[in-house]
Amino acid sequence: MDKRKLLHGDWQGATSWVVILALVIIVFSFINPRFASIENLRNVLVQASVPLMLVVGATLVILMGSIDLSVQGIMGAAGMVWILMSPNARGGIDYGAWAWVVATGIGLILGLLSGVIHTLFRVPSFVVTLGTWNVGVGLATILYGDSLLPSLTSEALSQWPTRLTLGLPNSFWLASIVVLAGILLIGFTQLGRGILAIGNNEPLAVVNGVPVIPIKIAAFGIAGLLSGFAGILATMQLGSGAPGVGAGQLFTVIPAAVIAGTALSGGEGGMVRSALGVFLLILLNNGLVLAGVDPNYQSGVFGAILVIAIVAVDWPQRDRLRVAK
Amino acid sequence: MLNLDQIAGSPALSANTARKWMGTAATALVVCLGAPTTASAQAKTPIAKENMVLVASVINTTNPYMISNIEGAKALSAKLGIPLEIVNSNGSSQTEISKIQAILAGGKTVIMFVNTVASSDAPTIVDAVKQAKGYVTIWWNNPAEHSPKDVGDNFVAYQKIPGVLSGRCGADAIGNALGGKGNVVMLPGVQDSTTSKTRVAGFTAQLKEKFPDIKILESRPSNWDPQLGNRNAKDLIVKYGDKINGVWSADDGMQIGAMQAFENAGLLNKVKFASDGLYPETLADLKSGRGDKAIVGETFHRGYMASAVGLYTAYLTATGKITPSELPKEKRESLFELSCVTPDNYQQYTKYDEPDAAAKFVDAMIEKGPWDTSPMKLIGAGPEEMPK
Repeated sequence: MDKRKLLHGDWQGATSWVVILALVIIVFSFINPRFASIENLRNVLVQASVPLMLVVGATLVILMGSIDLSVQGIMGAAGMVWILMSPNARGGIDYGAWAWVVATGIGLILGLLSGVIHTLFRVPSFVVTLGTWNVGVGLATILYGDSLLPSLTSEALSQWPTRLTLGLPNSFWLASIVVLAGILLIGFTQLGRGILAIGNNEPLAVVNGVPVIPIKIAAFGIAGLLSGFAGILATMQLGSGAPGVGAGQLFTVIPAAVIAGTALSGGEGGMVRSALGVFLLILLNNGLVLAGVDPNYQSGVFGAILVIAIVAVDWPQRDRLRVAK
Repeated sequence: MLNLDQIAGSPALSANTARKWMGTAATALVVCLGAPTTASAQAKTPIAKENMVLVASVINTTNPYMISNIEGAKALSAKLGIPLEIVNSNGSSQTEISKIQAILAGGKTVIMFVNTVASSDAPTIVDAVKQAKGYVTIWWNNPAEHSPKDVGDNFVAYQKIPGVLSGRCGADAIGNALGGKGNVVMLPGVQDSTTSKTRVAGFTAQLKEKFPDIKILESRPSNWDPQLGNRNAKDLIVKYGDKINGVWSADDGMQIGAMQAFENAGLLNKVKFASDGLYPETLADLKSGRGDKAIVGETFHRGYMASAVGLYTAYLTATGKITPSELPKEKRESLFELSCVTPDNYQQYTKYDEPDAAAKFVDAMIEKGPWDTSPMKLIGAGPEEMPK
């Protein structure tokens, strides 16, 4: 498949989402001018950074037509490992950069494990990653034990995600690098092409000599690594470690990828669209709070706006398909 | 195995006839074996310790309060010499109920404390325990109309710490710290949880009655989740900026998340916080005066006290030392004491977090009974009245 065409497709699908996002921003800014303030922009960027990192891994896996449910478990395990190896209220040794290496390494190993079991033992990814999710939570729970809440004692670390570099929060820079790497990986590497080929038609990919098994294992490995990374970032943002640090992320990330057009059946979609999906969900939540929508109505209003947005974006697409027929 | 339907399945045999046959057969069997012939004689037979099992069911095993619940159950188990099983519900009512049913199927007399995931779980659990002839005390969440006295002695008691009082403590602390003037935001827990509702009602009522010049800017339910508390606090900071003078959270978990958000926004020195639970980290912040003495009020109660009292009440019933149906109302639907903690009096409570505190509490409780052990004495009868 022509990679330029693929990339182009991702951006093209993204344009209508950019319009929807702009509309959301304009409407919420009218309701509360603070919505469009620099302060809120930074706030949204900080909040989006964890799901942005996760959505890259999730998209890689979904593009192959698989699914990765282990996100929250890996986040919990990696976050706990990281904080216990960093300066925290429980004491212990500060391992500095090794804390990052070991924590993301655990994410990588759990991800690779999912990939190996999924491919070599031919177990559906849904089932395997449900298992690794629980393994992650179990690991985090054991590490948490029953002693004091491990809170970060280093102010430099706990404030790092919200500190600004060139006007934007550090956590967002980190997430941007990950998203950019994801875009490049899909558009310009053999691994990316292989992932799309598997998602489009796996038997055909096998016949054409695409190394399906190594590619699948690598994609799950990367997703695990990124979940680990996101677990560290979430722990830093919270300022303390908790096995449930990833709570709710799975149902932000997978819908974000899917509503923005990454097909669960694989082969269609891309990083840019998934990232825009994340922004839509985060902006909606943030906007509803700033607009002062009663908490009793927030879920309902959130769902309604989301449905309207999806219908609006897909409408022209639907029309074209009808003409083509 | 013979069952009634199989016998009654014969067209020549009615169900009534079958029942009569079985009744006669059972009586004959009992007489032959020389077993006690009256039901009351059977009920009064003391249950041997080796036939009992203590069960503590908690919502998860990572929240400090739940960990403390487990600690109390362990201390009582060690003291009484009865084995203990922990049920981790993982936040799911389904998991909770199925694990409890599995334990009930084990055949031993179950003495149970349940910190229910949701109020609606309580009737199902109580019914299952009753069928298995066990004894259960429900803590925190139970539907208002599901009263122990209507179920019988197997539902020993419904016990809780009044949420309204907790909310009032927080309002007093923030109100006094702000000198009766200013703006606050609220972070309730899961919106439809009884515990959160009562705490919110107490907080808002106390502000209205005692500090009418303090305005509640907004209330954002944060589901007892530190991350959500953190996120909501970030949004509220953007929305109101330095207009916020105080933050009240329905528990310390959410407060921990909220304080981090205010610290990152450089506002921790200007805002006062009050919450419920006095978690160890909160106690450390209170001691160190984090921010400009940001935490002004807390409430004190410990999970180990709740589980020990709950289990012990059920144990006393199982061993025939108390008969719930003969107890006064406040001992079946019980409200226990809650202490308001301030930066001036927190020292009184640190002893309850010593490593042997749970064991000491259990010793004192066994000496004085489940309703008279400091600092969690019985203070009244439920259901809790909401302020008008």
